[in-house]
Amino acid sequence: MTALLRVARLVAASVATALVLGLIVRASAAPLPFHDGQAARLRLSWSARPERIEVCRTLSDEELAQREEHMRQRVECDGRFATYTLRVESDGQVIGETVARGAGLRHDRPLYLLREYDVAPGVHRVRVSFTRREKTDDNAAAFAKTTSTEADTGIFAGRAQREEVERARRARAAIPAHLELDTTVAFAPRQVIIVTFAPERRALVLLAGGSEPR
Amino acid sequence: MRLLERAFRRFLATLDAVATKAYGYAWNPFYQSGTVAVAMLLVLIGTGLYLLLFYRLGAPSASVGRMAADPWLGAWNRSLHRYASDVFVLAAGVHALRMFAQGRSWGPRTLAWVSGLVLFGAGLVCAWTGFVMAWDSFGERLAREGGRLLDALPVFSEPLSRIFAGDGPVPSAFFFVNMFIHIAVPLAMGAGLWLHVSHLARPALLPPRRLMWGIIGALFAAAVIWPAPLGAPANPFTLAPTTPTDLVAAWWLPLSERLSPGAAWSAVLILSAAALLVPRFARRPRTGALAPSVVDPRLCTGCNQCPQDCPWSAITMVKRDDDRPMLVALVDPARCVSCGICAGSCAPMGIGPEGRTGRDQLGALRSVAFPELAGAGFGAHGDLPPIVAVCCKQAPASHVAALRARGAHVHAVSCVGNLHTSVIELFVRRGAPGVIVCGCPPRDCTSREGPKWLHERVFNDREAELQPRVDRRRVRLATLAPGDRRATLAAFDDFARALAALDRPTRETDVDLDVVCDPVPIGADEEDS
Repeated sequence: MTALLRVARLVAASVATALVLGLIVRASAAPLPFHDGQAARLRLSWSARPERIEVCRTLSDEELAQREEHMRQRVECDGRFATYTLRVESDGQVIGETVARGAGLRHDRPLYLLREYDVAPGVHRVRVSFTRREKTDDNAAAFAKTTSTEADTGIFAGRAQREEVERARRARAAIPAHLELDTTVAFAPRQVIIVTFAPERRALVLLAGGSEPR
Repeated sequence: MRLLERAFRRFLATLDAVATKAYGYAWNPFYQSGTVAVAMLLVLIGTGLYLLLFYRLGAPSASVGRMAADPWLGAWNRSLHRYASDVFVLAAGVHALRMFAQGRSWGPRTLAWVSGLVLFGAGLVCAWTGFVMAWDSFGERLAREGGRLLDALPVFSEPLSRIFAGDGPVPSAFFFVNMFIHIAVPLAMGAGLWLHVSHLARPALLPPRRLMWGIIGALFAAAVIWPAPLGAPANPFTLAPTTPTDLVAAWWLPLSERLSPGAAWSAVLILSAAALLVPRFARRPRTGALAPSVVDPRLCTGCNQCPQDCPWSAITMVKRDDDRPMLVALVDPARCVSCGICAGSCAPMGIGPEGRTGRDQLGALRSVAFPELAGAGFGAHGDLPPIVAVCCKQAPASHVAALRARGAHVHAVSCVGNLHTSVIELFVRRGAPGVIVCGCPPRDCTSREGPKWLHERVFNDREAELQPRVDRRRVRLATLAPGDRRATLAAFDDFARALAALDRPTRETDVDLDVVCDPVPIGADEEDS
């Protein structure tokens, strides 16, 4: 290979290398559009246990006698988990309405909610309501009235009380039958405002990046 | 499938030609795509270990930001890590494409093909988790997309997407799992790589040093000059208009975002299935040129050379079932890729694919080339006979045509590693002034080691060596590299000039080729071990 050819190849190799490197560097951090426009976003996100709706009844002595000994429980409850209607309004206009239920095939897992709505920047009146769809009495209270300790003797002693406590705890942990947030919010361009459920306050609250929940 | 293979072959030939023009075939990175990918994996592990020391699970974005701001070590280390991942993806992609285009994806190569695809996929997953680790706007975008896709599967009890919603801090457990995957996947890739090359006798894992350090040096320079930018820290309360997206290692992101999760998973499944089924659809009947090698036990002297030369460990030496005191070669058809290297390695010409053993090669010369050699072509008019150019059938047609135009008598072989040295001897002793054997670039040989073994057999006495009686000045080896026809012709012209300075070749009419091979008696292998 002549010296001239060697130099030419060196130049070509350098140019090709620089070109390839430039392409890699460029492609490695290409500014890919993500959120077009100036729209802000209202994001609803929370998880909570749905209410357990139960129908309880007291078993008669005859019924109890027919059960196996280890299954003799005076009060039997059967039920399912509540479903909820989520309704989102902006300046009086409904921008979203959906039914939320617990996760899992039997909907017996906690309820996970994640919804996003684009809104124009500016001040808007936002109203979010989350309402139980099933009409029912307060089952925990109903159950308390029907609790019986008659059959809970021997190895089952105290079970009725324990179940009563557990039911009450579950009722307290469940999301309230009705939640509502009605407020006025100033959306900056590209800002995300989050509505979430605060379990300690048992209410829907607004989060806006750095500010305290309200 | 054949059309697709041809189209990719043409595309790669163009790429090869451009790269060969710039770097020369010996340093053409496209010929080293597989080894370049492995080298990049090592760079990723090296730079990754450093980055891991300073990464904080509790403050991922801030810790990566600190590294990116450190001009002495952190910034270039991180950038080199990023660019190496890009080159890994590119190199692995080119490697897969080359294997497909050259029809090296089926039969005994199926395991390598499938494991290669898995390695490629693992590399993409690793890159994905790596970007998420930085937890900038791009990492957040990838995490959200991952959450969106995974939530469509009945895997997690709580939707992953809620982690990034902003109603609570992203749990450290998420970053821990993400980092665990980022570290575990490359470790698994090591095992995958072992599987990938497990059928090869002598796998080439790293590129030539000069090329490897050249690539690493170039990437280092890029990392210093153009450090990889870090996006704004992930913030669930703002919508980023753009993100600094890696379109090489995360090329799938723009496509995935446009699809529903179901459509995206369907696309992944269809593409994966199509890629995994390539060996099924690319395979050809294993007859003719693709038939596995066979051994003629009557000729096998048990010299143990063919198992040593076979690039696929497809040959073993076993005890004979007759009373001869030596071993006999046994070909495993499930491992044999019909490269024919064994035919070139066998002095007594007792092994090789059907129609391509040493005997077949000589027989073909006798029936086709020799009348021409003896008659019209070679010295019919009292001129100096033409030089014989033995060319690999995979060589670029334009190069072969150029050699013909120079007056060479072209003799095609399936691979120069398949060529038995007796063929060269026969040409020379029949009056050819010289024989130039033109092979593919060594790292682009579809038989893996053709040019290497040919060189050893011709110049370094490796079995089946070119006999000492053949004047080595009349034999030359050359490389036919796409994009470098000038070098091929220069080598030919130089050879022709050298031959012109020699005496006029003598022609033997009664050539009797003898074969020499030292047998290995039964039991010698056990004693050695």
